[in-house]
Amino acid sequence: MGNILSVYTNDVDRINELFRYFLVVAAIIFLLVVGYTFYYVFKYQSKKQLELPNQEEGSDRIEIILATIATVITAVFVYLTITSINTIQKIPEHPKPFLEITGHQWWWEAKYPQSGVITANQIYIPTGKKILLKLTSADVVHDWWVYKLGRKIDMIPGRYNYMYMYADKPGEYLGACSEFCGVEHARMRIRVIALKPKDFKVWQKHQLQPVVSKPKDALFEKGKELFEEKTCTNCHAINGTPHKEDIGPNLTHFGSRKRFLSDMLVNNKTNLTAWITNPQNVKSGAKMPNFILSKSEIKALVTYLHNLK
Amino acid sequence: MSFFIDITEENDQLPTLKTGRGKLAWLASVDHKQLGIMYLWLALFFFVVGGLEAMVIRAQLALPENHVVSPETYNQIFTMHGTTMIFLVLMPAFIGLGTYLIPLMIGANEMAFPRLNAFSFWMTALGGFLLYFSFFAGGAPDAGWFNYAPLSEHNYSSTQGVDYYLIGLILTGIGSIGAALNFVTTVLTLKSPDIKLNMLPLFVWMIFINAFLILAAFPLLNAGLFMLLIDRQMDAHFFLPSTGGSAVLWQHFFWAFGHPEVYILALPAFGIISEVVPVFSRKPIFGYKFVAASSVAIALLAYSVWAHHMFAVGLSNAVNSFFAISSMLIGIPTGLKVINWIGTMYKGQIRLTLSMFFVIAFLIDFTLGGLSGVSFAIVPIDWQLTDTYYLVAHLHFVFLGGSLYGIFAGIYYWFPKMSGRFLSTKLGKWHFWLFTIGFNLTFFLQHILGILGMPRRVFTYPNLPYWKVLNFFSSLGAVLMFFGMAAFFWNIYVTLKKPRTATANPWDAWTLEWATPSPPTLKNFDEIPRIHSRRPLWDLNHPDNPDKKLN
Repeated sequence: MGNILSVYTNDVDRINELFRYFLVVAAIIFLLVVGYTFYYVFKYQSKKQLELPNQEEGSDRIEIILATIATVITAVFVYLTITSINTIQKIPEHPKPFLEITGHQWWWEAKYPQSGVITANQIYIPTGKKILLKLTSADVVHDWWVYKLGRKIDMIPGRYNYMYMYADKPGEYLGACSEFCGVEHARMRIRVIALKPKDFKVWQKHQLQPVVSKPKDALFEKGKELFEEKTCTNCHAINGTPHKEDIGPNLTHFGSRKRFLSDMLVNNKTNLTAWITNPQNVKSGAKMPNFILSKSEIKALVTYLHNLK
Repeated sequence: MSFFIDITEENDQLPTLKTGRGKLAWLASVDHKQLGIMYLWLALFFFVVGGLEAMVIRAQLALPENHVVSPETYNQIFTMHGTTMIFLVLMPAFIGLGTYLIPLMIGANEMAFPRLNAFSFWMTALGGFLLYFSFFAGGAPDAGWFNYAPLSEHNYSSTQGVDYYLIGLILTGIGSIGAALNFVTTVLTLKSPDIKLNMLPLFVWMIFINAFLILAAFPLLNAGLFMLLIDRQMDAHFFLPSTGGSAVLWQHFFWAFGHPEVYILALPAFGIISEVVPVFSRKPIFGYKFVAASSVAIALLAYSVWAHHMFAVGLSNAVNSFFAISSMLIGIPTGLKVINWIGTMYKGQIRLTLSMFFVIAFLIDFTLGGLSGVSFAIVPIDWQLTDTYYLVAHLHFVFLGGSLYGIFAGIYYWFPKMSGRFLSTKLGKWHFWLFTIGFNLTFFLQHILGILGMPRRVFTYPNLPYWKVLNFFSSLGAVLMFFGMAAFFWNIYVTLKKPRTATANPWDAWTLEWATPSPPTLKNFDEIPRIHSRRPLWDLNHPDNPDKKLN
């Protein structure tokens, strides 16, 4: 459907332009209301004279004219709205999503069904391509919103929603969960990293490589053992090991992520140590239990996770 | 009409405490004026509580990564703030003003069902206190005022808080339904025989239409609340997707109530403004029939706009388009009203009383809130800005800039009638300026925060560009509002200690409540003047320039 908004191939630009139209019309109406209110208040202020104003009861003509103008403005926006809805949310009948995201309290699970990559929280996309997202939730209602890349849409347990996301330029884009989802809703933030298609391919290839096949040192090996022994694997999966649970974030290549806990902290050994030592101290309400590990055990686990590059 | 008992007569014969004296008589009162005043005290009490909760919210958000309260406490506080302000402040304030004024304005001596009236008030009060008891019973509700399932189900909200929310709101809901039933019956059966429907004061019209909105909306809410309560207590699985329920169903129930509710909290304010502007412009309302008819249009459209709260849910494009159209349409009758109020001032003789100050602030701030509301009907804009601070700003411009400014205008206008005393103008101006500057500072900036990407209901936020400074000034505005409200409470306190000086009709108004002494006697009217127009007292005071005869 062609109209003045059709020049915008990018959804976000289109929405912004629509917002600018709204803003212009709203500003004119607002200034008229403010202007007339103050003008009349100052002009017709009682100056204690006693003669009464003319007891006029209104004018049908003015009301009908103004209602007609309002209806015309409304009709224009109805048209722009409906054509925009149908352009932005044009989902094919048999959608083939590029990326499937599942909201959890309070992290994001990301699967790339076409390549088989599974990751969490730090989400990579290629630039210059409209990518189709499939979204759902594993627990309560969440909402996916990266406002520079596309619309927001709710992630509802038991339902699949689809939307498009588009990044023009490579870079890091911030977003946040936009539906209240419990204690740590505020810290359920999003970081999408857009890479040039060539770089994205490299990233994808790296993600598909199993990491745990090449042992590094004794501490790393001890950490790897502890990861199984202390039942971390009941919730966290690492590709290349037999464990496939997705209750907690998938930790394959965890060491290559810049931040962790849904973008809350920088991924370094200090923060990771604090987190494993007592998760509730770092992110109150988080679902990860405190395993009351000894200092040396924590050191081994941190070394192991930190080296999952 | 033998179906209806003539309550006024019956009531006089009851051994009622209505004729008693002393403080305890208030507890057992069935008098509409006492109950109306009790509603207003209830609203004022919860306004203090809800206001202090708002101060905690703004203290926590004043700086990024702030630690005034824990996230768990913060979530309880913002849930209680919203629930309190909607159900325990704005609702009882409007129902209270209606209960006090409706019989007086239609020349009746009581409401149609005086004991139902008392029952409604006590149910509302009981619901409110029960809701707050949750703080002592393990934790307040923490799933937001619209309490989305499945977050509000017992597996995600394991304290008793949400149960108290459900039971408390069921009770206040029953109270509101009782009050609405009473309003409809009172207006239809007890208005003075001289008054035809097209002669009713506009405040009465608004409360009358509003009562129908309440009668259709609150049963929906109560049905949903009961279902969720059964879910939580007995595992009925209405709203639990993992066992065959639907999370979206709760949202439909809630907003099919929730959007009419927004108009339930706006129409009475429109009624107050429609009384105050003409009196202080010394002219009749501009376009009486348009004000009344546009309210009927709003009431009807109000039932077909609820899913505009759910544009991000992922409903079909057709459904979203339908609700977009109806939501934009409802802006037309609402905008028309603003034109009518401004038109009333045109060539009038405006007396700038405190009520008029609040009316002027209402006209500007409510228009702003209404306009930002239209941006949510433009679905793609909603897909960006819903559930952000832009929405928080919008809803506060509607509920404070609209509903609350209407209530303030009404309180300053009717206070002499209710108490026989005038609120201090000097303190009133402190109240007005501190509150208005603070309010606009706090909430105008939140539009920008939303556009910059700040989601609502967050207990903290990262220090992104401009977020800190905007939040800080937003909190600063809240401090000004706090002192503005302090001036208001102090004003009420000192005024109630002063002697009674108000005459029966100090503003030279023209509706029937001003024909009674200030405050009115227990039996409102011994006799009512003959009524031939919309402004009976005007006709009496200006026999040379009477209104058009309508009967």
